[in-house]
Amino acid sequence: MSAPLLHNYDLDEDCYRARLVAACSGVALDLRNVDMFPGAEHRSDAYLRLNPLGTLPILQDEMLVLTQPEAILRRIAALDPERRLMPEDSIIAARIDDWLAFWAQHLAPAKAAREIALMATPGDLAALSARTARMLRVMEDHMTHQTIRGLGFFAGPELTLADLALFPAFALSRDHGLDHDAFPALRLWARRVRLTPGFITMPGIPDYH
Amino acid sequence: MTGTQWVPLALARDITPGTSAGTVAEGAEIVVWRDTDGRAHVWEDRCPHRGMKMSFGFVRGDHIACLYHGWEFDEGGTCRKIPAHPELEVPGSICVARYGCTETGAMIWAALPLGAEAGELPALPDAVPVRSITIEAGLISVANMLLNEENAVIEGALATLDSAHGPLAIGVQPIRPGAVTLHIATRPGASTETLLAICDWAETLRRTAEKEIAA
Ligand code: FES
Repeated sequence: MSAPLLHNYDLDEDCYRARLVAACSGVALDLRNVDMFPGAEHRSDAYLRLNPLGTLPILQDEMLVLTQPEAILRRIAALDPERRLMPEDSIIAARIDDWLAFWAQHLAPAKAAREIALMATPGDLAALSARTARMLRVMEDHMTHQTIRGLGFFAGPELTLADLALFPAFALSRDHGLDHDAFPALRLWARRVRLTPGFITMPGIPDYH
Repeated sequence: MTGTQWVPLALARDITPGTSAGTVAEGAEIVVWRDTDGRAHVWEDRCPHRGMKMSFGFVRGDHIACLYHGWEFDEGGTCRKIPAHPELEVPGSICVARYGCTETGAMIWAALPLGAEAGELPALPDAVPVRSITIEAGLISVANMLLNEENAVIEGALATLDSAHGPLAIGVQPIRPGAVTLHIATRPGASTETLLAICDWAETLRRTAEKEIAA
């Protein structure tokens, strides 16, 4: 069986999520780097045939073509026979579902703000960044409570898919001018995420070692 | 606020050895970091090379290195290493400005403004950290809300009061006009339930303070 193929752009945060989940769950991926910027290759005929939405990442695996970031992360994590990012426990699984939905629905402004700041796409940067700050505050409050309960991660005592899906929105927020000052619990959580075996960075997330 | 004052910048617990964090107090950008031996340092958050924030950098033993070009500074704030010129004997005149700092009552405190002689900060009673919380509201309105609590007193930048969940010691850090961070601690031995109840109290206070602004 060949490895799943990820159509990838290194600076895209959802592509990074896919690479990060693969790296932390020991799943090998084949990468095809797409000239998203400035070439707009993801909007070429060949790519629009594969994904009419014209977005990256795209995961091709056996008979699958997946285009939704959440589905891509779940698929990669499910390929790990140890299921280290998706434990069976139904309570933990429900919390993972909840935080993945939070990411997909409520952290979209973080991605949009970063694209405006880095790639000069049109949009209201101040409003999107303020919205992101609100969502990071929800996460900060949650991790503050988790820490008091002695739980180091979003869904429980261990790192799960939820943490890796949420991590880039926090780690990359300085790219759109949002500092980490007001988020001490998230700062300590991010350090724990970084210690995960297999953890990788992307441009914008410094590698300290 | 005018004159020299001790201002709390973080709960001591939240600055773990070998880490740094940026913060703002009365408009000044500040880095709080702890060396691997556990000593806390409070500096101006500005690299003398090209002005990168030192809080983006990383701690190496008792040095902190700038993320941009890797200049390394010792605990006295003096530059000791310039990676682009490893053979260079670095002149002792390249420095980051330091604040006087001390740790007491579960918080890290700095003497503001930069260069101030604030004298000794009297030691505070032992306390356990609860949480830091940033409120988008003015200092006066937040202080008034704290003063509405039972037996509330504000001395310098420390508020003490009796909440329904036990006594609280709250360090008040003015960030800029319209934003304040509270560093909340309580008496040793508080249970998990009590700590969570104090969090709820603080989050309710934040909600109320920010609602008044919006109104
Ligand atoms: S800006 Fe700090 S080393 Fe260059």
